[in-house]
Amino acid sequence: MTGAVQEHDAAALVAAPAEPSTSSRNARWLRELAATVLPGVIAIALVLGIWEAWVEIKDVKPYIVPAPTRVAERFADDPWFFIHEGLKTLEGAMFGFAVGAFVAFGLATIMAQARAFERSIFPLAILVKVTPIVAIAPLLTIWFGFGLMPKVFIAALIVFFPIMVNALVGFRSVNPNALALMQSLAAGRTEVFWRLRAPSALPYLFAAFRVSIPMSVIGAVVAEWFSGDRGLGSVIYVANNNLDMATAFAGVFTLAMIGVILFVATSWLERRVLFWHESTMDVRG
Amino acid sequence: MSNDAHIVIEGVDMVYAASSRPLTALSSFDLTLRRGEFVSIIGPSGCGKSTLLRIVGGLQSPTRGRVLIDGRPPREAQREKQIGFVFQDPTLLPWRNVIENVRLPLQVNKRPRGAAGRPFSARPEHRPELVEGVLVGRADADDTSLGGRRGSPRTADPDALVDLVGLEPFRRYYPHQLSGGMQQRVAIARSLVTSPQLLLMDEPFGALDEITRTSMRFELLRVWRSTAEGACTVIFVTHSIAEAVLLADRVIVMTPQPGRIAADIAIDLPRPRPEEIELEPRFLEYTKRLRDLLRQGAPSVRPELVEGREGSVR
Repeated sequence: MTGAVQEHDAAALVAAPAEPSTSSRNARWLRELAATVLPGVIAIALVLGIWEAWVEIKDVKPYIVPAPTRVAERFADDPWFFIHEGLKTLEGAMFGFAVGAFVAFGLATIMAQARAFERSIFPLAILVKVTPIVAIAPLLTIWFGFGLMPKVFIAALIVFFPIMVNALVGFRSVNPNALALMQSLAAGRTEVFWRLRAPSALPYLFAAFRVSIPMSVIGAVVAEWFSGDRGLGSVIYVANNNLDMATAFAGVFTLAMIGVILFVATSWLERRVLFWHESTMDVRG
Repeated sequence: MSNDAHIVIEGVDMVYAASSRPLTALSSFDLTLRRGEFVSIIGPSGCGKSTLLRIVGGLQSPTRGRVLIDGRPPREAQREKQIGFVFQDPTLLPWRNVIENVRLPLQVNKRPRGAAGRPFSARPEHRPELVEGVLVGRADADDTSLGGRRGSPRTADPDALVDLVGLEPFRRYYPHQLSGGMQQRVAIARSLVTSPQLLLMDEPFGALDEITRTSMRFELLRVWRSTAEGACTVIFVTHSIAEAVLLADRVIVMTPQPGRIAADIAIDLPRPRPEEIELEPRFLEYTKRLRDLLRQGAPSVRPELVEGREGSVR
């Protein structure tokens, strides 16, 4: 209760110089933001506090588990180093995602045309899916050397299957009456695909994106462990070998931030693109 | 002029090859419709009404027999966009707003302008009537010649059609922002945007509540009258006796399994039909007669089901 009152006061203070109408709107906005974000922030702070206390009390060695404050110090020491390496990882993940999504969409489009294509392509795709891609990661250095290519390759392989399967389901989940309508207008196959099937598949595609975008980052990091000269994966790998746990954890922290940003960006894009779909609709609406 | 046969259905059989025993949906079905006629088809569920519409609309081929639209197979009429469809579910594309949904039939299967020419000799004859109809049907019509400001002789102006179904304030709304009745109005506007010669309606008001359904019937009559009366033949499938009588020039009563015509009744009521017409003795006579026919025609079907759809019979 006191928390709510304080929040309200703080909002009023911040908004005081503005006009009354905007001030009340600002206050409401701030309160809503606080209400959505605050519980999560408190939970994270709690976990970090327990971690810090545990390291303090048990006197855990910094080369085994570093205290959060130590990790923060390490990050603050040279934030651009982590951000820069993080962007390298992100680059690999995003290129990989793009390639994987493109191939997946293409194959799903072909499979949607005829069951025969589906029967020939699907087993192959499942084979790729069940192969533990991490197991072939060491080979990638031999094939592609260092740099961007191994990351793109692994990220694309990981991302490809969920997108392909969802796209295929999406292409087929078309209102039968809408198909009849298109047929009654003598629409061609391509036209039915682009005007009806592809938009109908968008909700399914976004569901796949939400799963596969974080997976693309994992793929890039794994590739960097084995064949990276740059990126957070290799930073963490090297720090591990040097028992420099503060650096390793700062790297992990940066990866987590990248994950959060990607998640928020995907959700935002989804709400904009799928404004017409019930999945994005406000419950109150 | 309006006595020529527009739609001819000749000896149509439709047999679905089911795993255990074949299901005969339609059996030697014959029907001829005049141009501009409004025909209701009524019958219990599973009597092949929807199958008939799909065959006439060229969405499926009959097992035997044939359908001719102006002497040509339905597929050709499809290609000329001569067929409008309205389903029980509005079937709007949720990512398109009202006006974009209405425009869809114009965008699909686009042919170079003028290449289509005037496919049917009847068209030019009916033009004046069409324009006149708009003026009669809509007192506040200013420049609403639905024949199209766009210069194409074959299509209606989507904006004018949206106005005509009373949705001008909602042009930019998306389907999820509209009520079921409004969505169905959009579907009706969409079906008319190509100025079709044949409108096929498969229980279009079946999913609406009673109050909306009643107003939609008059709405449909008004829209049909102002855009295309005399030029557009309508086949309207329904479960409701009152709806069939109110809308149609002719009511076809069907019996199920196999789908056959049990009766073909001309509805001799003047047009335009006011709301009070449902209280007139002649109207009530028609509904009573149809009810009796449905009872005899299908002893296996409980007639109260057919009535129940309509609520109390007035």
